Amino acid sequence: MDLKLKVNGEDWALDVAPADVLLDVLRERIGVKSPKIGCERGDCGSCTILMDGRTVRSCLVLAIEVDGHEITTVEGISYEGFSELQNLFLQNNSFQCGFCAPGIVLAATELLDHNPNPTRHDVQEALAGNLCRCTGYEPIIEAVLAAGDGGSE
Amino acid sequence: MVIAREFDYQRPDTLAKAIQILEEYPGSVRLLAGGTDLVAWLRDDAVAPDLVVDIKDVPGLHALELEGETLHIGSLVTFTELIESELVREHAPLLAEMAETVASQGIRNRATMVGNICSAVPSCDAGPVLLAYDTTVHVVGPDGERSIDINDWFVGLRQTARTDEEVVTHLTIALRPHGGVYVKLMRYAGEDLAQAAVGIVVYPGDEYRVAFGAVAPTPIRSIRIEEALRGRPLDESLITDVVSMVRSEISPITDMRASAEYRARMTEVMLKRGLMAATERLAGTGPAYGTRLI
Amino acid sequence: MTTEFPFEAETADGDLTSVGTSAVRIDGLDKISGAAQFVDDIDFGPGLLYAAIVESPYAYARILSIDTAEAEAAKGVVRVATGKDFPYKFGMYMEDRYIFAQDYVRFVGEQVAGVVARSHREAVQAAKLISVEYEVLTPLLDPRSAVADDADLIHPDLDDYTHVPWFFPQADTNIAHWRKIRKGDTKKAFAEADYILEDTYRVPRYAHCAIEPHVTVSKLDYADRLTVWTASQSPHTQRHLFAEALAPLGFSHKDVRVITPYVGGGFGGKAGVSMEILGAAMATLVKGRPVKLRWTREQEFYNTYQRQGVVAELKVGVKNDGTITAVEHKLYWDAGAYVEYGANVVNAAGLSATGPYRVPNITNDSLCIYTNLPPGGPYRGFGYSEFHFGLESHMDRIAEAIGMDAVEFRRKNAIVEGDELAYGAHMNPSGMIEAIDRTAAAIDWGVEEKSDNPNTVIGKGIALFWKAPAMPPNSSSASFLKFNEDGSINISVSGMELGQGYLTVMAQIASEVLSVPVGKIRVETPDTDRNPYEWQTVASHVTWSSGLAVEKAAIEARGKIFDVIHQVYGYEDDSLYLEDEAVKCKTDPEFSKPLREFVIDGIQTEDGTWRGGPIIASGKFMPEFTNANSDPETGQGGHPNVHYTVGATGVVLEIDKDTGRIWVRKAALAVDAGRAINPDLVNGQITGGLVQGLATVLYEDMRFDEGGKMMNPTFTDYKIPTAFDIPDEIIPIIVEVPQPDGPFGARGVGEHTMIGAAPVIANAVYNALGVRITSMPITQEKVAMAIFEKSEN
Repeated sequence: MDLKLKVNGEDWALDVAPADVLLDVLRERIGVKSPKIGCERGDCGSCTILMDGRTVRSCLVLAIEVDGHEITTVEGISYEGFSELQNLFLQNNSFQCGFCAPGIVLAATELLDHNPNPTRHDVQEALAGNLCRCTGYEPIIEAVLAAGDGGSE
Repeated sequence: MVIAREFDYQRPDTLAKAIQILEEYPGSVRLLAGGTDLVAWLRDDAVAPDLVVDIKDVPGLHALELEGETLHIGSLVTFTELIESELVREHAPLLAEMAETVASQGIRNRATMVGNICSAVPSCDAGPVLLAYDTTVHVVGPDGERSIDINDWFVGLRQTARTDEEVVTHLTIALRPHGGVYVKLMRYAGEDLAQAAVGIVVYPGDEYRVAFGAVAPTPIRSIRIEEALRGRPLDESLITDVVSMVRSEISPITDMRASAEYRARMTEVMLKRGLMAATERLAGTGPAYGTRLI
Repeated sequence: MTTEFPFEAETADGDLTSVGTSAVRIDGLDKISGAAQFVDDIDFGPGLLYAAIVESPYAYARILSIDTAEAEAAKGVVRVATGKDFPYKFGMYMEDRYIFAQDYVRFVGEQVAGVVARSHREAVQAAKLISVEYEVLTPLLDPRSAVADDADLIHPDLDDYTHVPWFFPQADTNIAHWRKIRKGDTKKAFAEADYILEDTYRVPRYAHCAIEPHVTVSKLDYADRLTVWTASQSPHTQRHLFAEALAPLGFSHKDVRVITPYVGGGFGGKAGVSMEILGAAMATLVKGRPVKLRWTREQEFYNTYQRQGVVAELKVGVKNDGTITAVEHKLYWDAGAYVEYGANVVNAAGLSATGPYRVPNITNDSLCIYTNLPPGGPYRGFGYSEFHFGLESHMDRIAEAIGMDAVEFRRKNAIVEGDELAYGAHMNPSGMIEAIDRTAAAIDWGVEEKSDNPNTVIGKGIALFWKAPAMPPNSSSASFLKFNEDGSINISVSGMELGQGYLTVMAQIASEVLSVPVGKIRVETPDTDRNPYEWQTVASHVTWSSGLAVEKAAIEARGKIFDVIHQVYGYEDDSLYLEDEAVKCKTDPEFSKPLREFVIDGIQTEDGTWRGGPIIASGKFMPEFTNANSDPETGQGGHPNVHYTVGATGVVLEIDKDTGRIWVRKAALAVDAGRAINPDLVNGQITGGLVQGLATVLYEDMRFDEGGKMMNPTFTDYKIPTAFDIPDEIIPIIVEVPQPDGPFGARGVGEHTMIGAAPVIANAVYNALGVRITSMPITQEKVAMAIFEKSEN
């Protein structure tokens, strides 16, 4: 089936089978690797993408469903230069293995876009769908709160 | 694991076309809205449809509006949209409170409340809340429109009153001033399926609706508890009375998630805390909607 | 008597510029930008094949037949493999394991056959077409029934298995290894004790749950060279095991190359070899084509190493003044169907099951018992978390029984430098007393707190921990180092960046010696062809061991730099030093030669000729004071552990009296890092390890059905913490009593931060509710039911 979509600002036209999952199509056919395969059930959040500005678990979407839509991943956010949030993650040594990081960056980006000054609880809620086994979340939460304060430390 | 078994896909752009497909397609069909249940089932090989019908392009299914005293919720309205709707927060805050407990942001951005009650798993969050509200499910099929009282909606384990040829178009909730609560027992503070759940709505004059989730094959209402509460101001002894009725109203199971005894005990605690919170909220006090009580 | 260390590690004179700073991670940019590449992200072109595995549905069965005909004929299938293609055994410490099951399957999920196909979908579809006939046998699902006299032998040929000399398999039993410690006279000591406490503690199995699943891509090229790209903690050990397992096919180490990029979490689960052998083996059947095998999350749960379960029988005797006089600790390990790696967990625990205490009389037994459950293996803590649960619960109970404060009891008995260990060697320098005191202070120990909420109560708990790296006595690390034209440095090591910050720490060590900023040092992820040997990135030992190798390489490079300067300018080596990326001279303050001017090109002399050339160096480290000699009956005589890292954990909990819900309000954790090379990274291990430890006691709950099948192999039902499920406040405390032979005094901390979490919760729950729970996990349900039971009695 014909699939047309925009990924990180670039137009794509592909032929996909209905059973092709968006996560696999992004990684294998479009070459965008930051959304990861972690659980394929929507439990871990490592497959997270932004679709029309909102986080979506790309492992639970059939590729053909996104015909006509716009998808952004962390490569798209990073292209013109890192966001303040990304710089805070970097300076704060927030990530360890980095496998959950793309999903977390997008979840935190969505939060700050809709709620520029989140509370700690707001940050936890926004990130609750992204599992991280390494960090215990604290340095990640700190960086997002710092981004929300309207200025870097 | 990929989705191993292949299937066809159609995305009709009118309701009539969607129904025609359901009526005429020779093989098995599954409807697709948010997909957060269906796509996982496809991967697990738990369902094997020949055709998936995506209804996201069908117009008129996404409305979220108040018509007089009736709240109209289109079948494509997502949990996130319920949470972010000022209309819902003001007029039916229990929907938002329940929606916030469903999975996580990335799931809620896609998953629909109607999809939740169509999947109809015993722990579906929307079940107890819609049962506690005055809810009607509206479907359209080859024979036209049909309204199904929510109390007739859950007919068995994962089974609803919808036929294979019908599409749910929207829900309506008849609203009046109320207090309510959705108490959900989880295994931790992060996302989880309900291990037991209580949904309560109380109207002025001590008129109650009490529903339970995850403690029976379907979400259930307890008319008996409602009758015991009706017209009586809530006090400790009344609470003790109705709490002692819980065990006879529910039939929890022991599975790998929780034991029946634990579920039953906790439901008793949840009913008590829920009744107090709901009546306080009706009076304009009590814990803010969204506060976890258990 | 103090321990003598054979190698006096480099200590800096003057102020440190890099070591001790919280430098920004050198892989940080990769991780915030999406640039970090993991195995599954590597493209292999249109020729990439995919593998899918057929698994046993039974925990114990004889394989009668495998019919692959339909699968072989299926669309897209290139090759089908079964045990017949690879009738070889292999294993890390004991060769008891197969590539594909041979005549028997020994756990639910064990691999029986594999399909290689042109697409993932086709592989999965074809795998369903393979039919296997089994004769189902009765599985042994717990360690105590597996050691009953009439128990079936899961490995009847145990006595013939090759194994390391420090294992003691018991022929004609299911006991694959039995570590015994006999010291002093416990019978007499118990007879003379003033108080004795005896009880049994139960700890179930746990899963690592790294967010990246195991994955390999393997290719045997037309020149018979096997390359395996793998998410592994141990590229050289993997190469070694692949070469050994496939030796019958003619492979040896030179023919095998392992390439490991970033790893998305290991926690021990990606050490050794588990599923990777399947990819490597199947690749040999499809020469010239790369084959990807990626585990699903479900397979990740039930067919990779699991943390072994244990039943711990503990008896401790004390004097009225609180002195511990005797410990009898019997550990029955549920080690699973294959113990090639897990037996060393049993060994390590057995050596140290007194806990961090001074104990003169010891009778400890640690039994590695075969069961028909997934293979146990390395998991962060390596047996220590498992036995500390019971041990630290027990110590609290004893303190209460004799009327002594729990912290005072620990202080009195805590092991200190010079004390004799269970196997006869002596304790290294360590700050246990400081750790205890600072942890207790952080949670206001001794101050009872009352809750503002009438529904809740507050409880506090304390628990100590210790651990030594569990390694063969000759585990080694090595490093290459080279300069580039701009004065930047490339370091090659084969330790793995699992997220702990290993690459950054290596860079900081080199930076300190060579005065090159961390931002100008790249430490490369390994390729076994290019990078020198590292045993494995496990055991919390690479900061120490690989750090020493890097330090030595940096010192060698520095020596070569000074040699060139001396050669050209005449300054004596001991008058030279490095500062701000330049060579300077103590006796000639004007002299400053920037490194970038000569580290590739050399220095031109007066007559126009050149001296020097590329500055390259190497370093290696292998401890020369360890040995695995030990009497099989007493455990005495050896020096198996290089050193211990110690620490303490404290918590303040709030518990809902009606529901058993626990909030961890405050958690303090002190660990003696010797020297925190990067304090941020040490804090990262404290926070991350503590949360992972708390998860094992509060949330994670692995269940098996009566057939030995894991019932909850998903994150839906095996709960690991989300951003909501963390303490309100974590207080990390870094103690620094230097490790004399460590790089700048450093020793490892990565595993240790998990170890105290389970008992500290048990102790705080008791403190709050008066309820003592002696089995894990301590879930809300378990606490609630205990509360209900108590109120009814």
